[in-house]
Amino acid sequence: MKLNIVGKNIIRVDAQAKVTGKALYPQDIYLDNMVYGKTVRSTKPHAYIKIDISEAEKVDGVLKVFTYKDIPNKNAHGVVLKDHEAFASKKVIRIGEPIAFIVAETQKICEEAYKKIKIDYEEIPAVFDPVEAMKEDAPKVHGDSNIIYHFKLRHGDIEEGKRKSKYIVENIYKSPMVEHAFLQPEAGLGYLEEDGTVVVVIATQYPHYDREEVAINLGLPEEKVKIINTNVGGAFGGREDISAQIHLALAAMVLKRPVKVIFSREESFLAHSKRHPMIMKYKTGADENGYLQYMEAEIIGDSGAHCSWAMNVLRKAGVHATGPYVIPHVKVDAYAVYTNNPYTGAMRGFGATQVPIAHEQQMDALAEKLGMNPIEFRMKNIFRRGSMTATGQILTDSVPLDRCLEAVDERFKFSQLWKEVK
Amino acid sequence: MKKRGIGVGLSFYGTGYGNGFPDISRAIVRLLPGGRIGIYCGVTEVGQGAKTAMIQIGAETLGVTEKDIDLIHEDTSLMPDSGTAAATRQTYNTGNAIKVACQNMREKLFEKAKVELGLNSTAGLALEKGEVVLSFFPQKRISFKRLSEIYKDETIEAEGEFVAQTTTMDPDTGQGAPYWPYTFNACAVEVEVDMNTGIVNLLRAVFAQDAGRAVNPHLLEGQMDGGFAMALGYTLFEDLKLENGVIKNNRFSKYLIPTAMDMIDVENIIIEDPENTAPYGAKGIGEPVMIPIAPAILNAIYNAIGIRITELPVTPEKLMKAIREAEVNN
Repeated sequence: MKLNIVGKNIIRVDAQAKVTGKALYPQDIYLDNMVYGKTVRSTKPHAYIKIDISEAEKVDGVLKVFTYKDIPNKNAHGVVLKDHEAFASKKVIRIGEPIAFIVAETQKICEEAYKKIKIDYEEIPAVFDPVEAMKEDAPKVHGDSNIIYHFKLRHGDIEEGKRKSKYIVENIYKSPMVEHAFLQPEAGLGYLEEDGTVVVVIATQYPHYDREEVAINLGLPEEKVKIINTNVGGAFGGREDISAQIHLALAAMVLKRPVKVIFSREESFLAHSKRHPMIMKYKTGADENGYLQYMEAEIIGDSGAHCSWAMNVLRKAGVHATGPYVIPHVKVDAYAVYTNNPYTGAMRGFGATQVPIAHEQQMDALAEKLGMNPIEFRMKNIFRRGSMTATGQILTDSVPLDRCLEAVDERFKFSQLWKEVK
Repeated sequence: MKKRGIGVGLSFYGTGYGNGFPDISRAIVRLLPGGRIGIYCGVTEVGQGAKTAMIQIGAETLGVTEKDIDLIHEDTSLMPDSGTAAATRQTYNTGNAIKVACQNMREKLFEKAKVELGLNSTAGLALEKGEVVLSFFPQKRISFKRLSEIYKDETIEAEGEFVAQTTTMDPDTGQGAPYWPYTFNACAVEVEVDMNTGIVNLLRAVFAQDAGRAVNPHLLEGQMDGGFAMALGYTLFEDLKLENGVIKNNRFSKYLIPTAMDMIDVENIIIEDPENTAPYGAKGIGEPVMIPIAPAILNAIYNAIGIRITELPVTPEKLMKAIREAEVNN
């Protein structure tokens, strides 16, 4: 196929605006008659709350302090389960959960009013370790159980795989909770159009999802809500859940003035999701000829206080737990668990980034037992066109993993160096 | 004392929402005044280069250049829903929707050209540099600009939709086809471990990424460099110091991420093997580019010092502790 444009190194069309500073992000936008918002967030991980906003609302220049009582329709959002409250009503379940939204003439007045918000926290036992959280007597974050999801993968016969394995490697791996660290902290504006359409200006990964959540929480038809997605200063999964969208839309609708909010870096750390930390218990076996025979894994992912994408992330971790290898006998159990930690959600790789920390070290440990070069061992076992994954899927089309590995080996001279060292 | 080691890491990555969830992208293509092409599509540019890649796919399909296309992708009241900028799905899914919309647009333009050129059929018509041309008698041609003038009171537009194919896995066995297509990669690194400080330095890296087809090789390499840097932070630096639900390291003075001084020149290799169901064969690479790096570094550390580190991040403190423990055990 002769191609004219696809495959060409065209300079990115948004490059000039971004490198010259002309590209607008929500923080850069000012509207006439604009007021400012500030989010009041929980400082306790698990507590019943009573909120007193009366003194804050008396501060000169404060227009209103919004709480759960002001949500017109459903005080609930979430990409899968609706287990986030736009404003915490009775109980906070993590540090950083929004409780109120102060709107005032200036940011300085917001800060003044912030000091006058009184939140009475009645702390209750919290759980921070996902293994503890799985126990029946653990404090419950939502409902009756902290186990959100259990993914099961069963392929072949594990006992047969064990019998056929001459070499077995067993290890526990742990990956940490981390931050997306995108360049642009969250910011946004809300305003009303003449016909009553509520507009939210924000940097988001999915404007149509934001529109749906704003419409549901505010009780508006979707066509009365408009999301303007500005330039986005990095996302990496951290802008998939709702941040300020509902608060801004609500404030604009009630006050009929443009409202702007800007999160500081510290607030940004508190506000959005994180990467799921995972505990990964692995057993992997190979026969005397270096062919993988079985793999057994238990993966526990900490979802923190909200589900967000926990099911999808642990499912993805479970599906990718084998790595890109043909293994005839596989058993995987992956669990997503609520705790009172900061919530975790989408982040680049989405569960498939964590498991290679385990399976690739298992591969090297097995290669060592076999006395093989790690690349030679992998070449015997990798997916190729026509291979079957542990979910029973046939890889019918583009599967150039052998070419990737050969190219790396050749350029790096890996096998040659390995031989020299031995 | 410093010790050197080499290590390799591999990964595969299933793109798209997956597990049978309806994964739909939509696009509308419209002829604009002056003969420009408007593509209306809810694709988000998060820095990955989607805006450029989508315009390239549209331009290729309509036989124009990237300068002839306006991508309208900011306002939910103007553009159809194309799903989220996530799951490594925009190039494949939304790229396909744009390609379909542009192919449908081509038919619309052929119909109008047939009328204006006084032809009996659209057979033999082709698109070439912003014109509709009868390929075997190229004197018969009409520009998009001219068509936009003639049909200024009529909207010439076409829609396109792409629905990805996956199946829901069995809840008891996990059997099914949860993702499609898969993207593959491999990375090798050489590290140097300072046995006195526990600091790990990267010396060299070669990284091969399957892309199906690279829509824009420089942008793809940018993603590979970015993914590598992000993984470097994940492996060696990033620590929230989470204690009882409190993030102690909540600013960049305490939460360390790599800077340009920590990055090395990664030797990137793009492997092309066009995927049949993808737009011009292009598969997504946005997430996979960070995945094989951490295991390659961990395997290289083992190769250097004979200690397997099973918990990230490999901070100097953690590595020194592991080195001391190994000394005691020996």
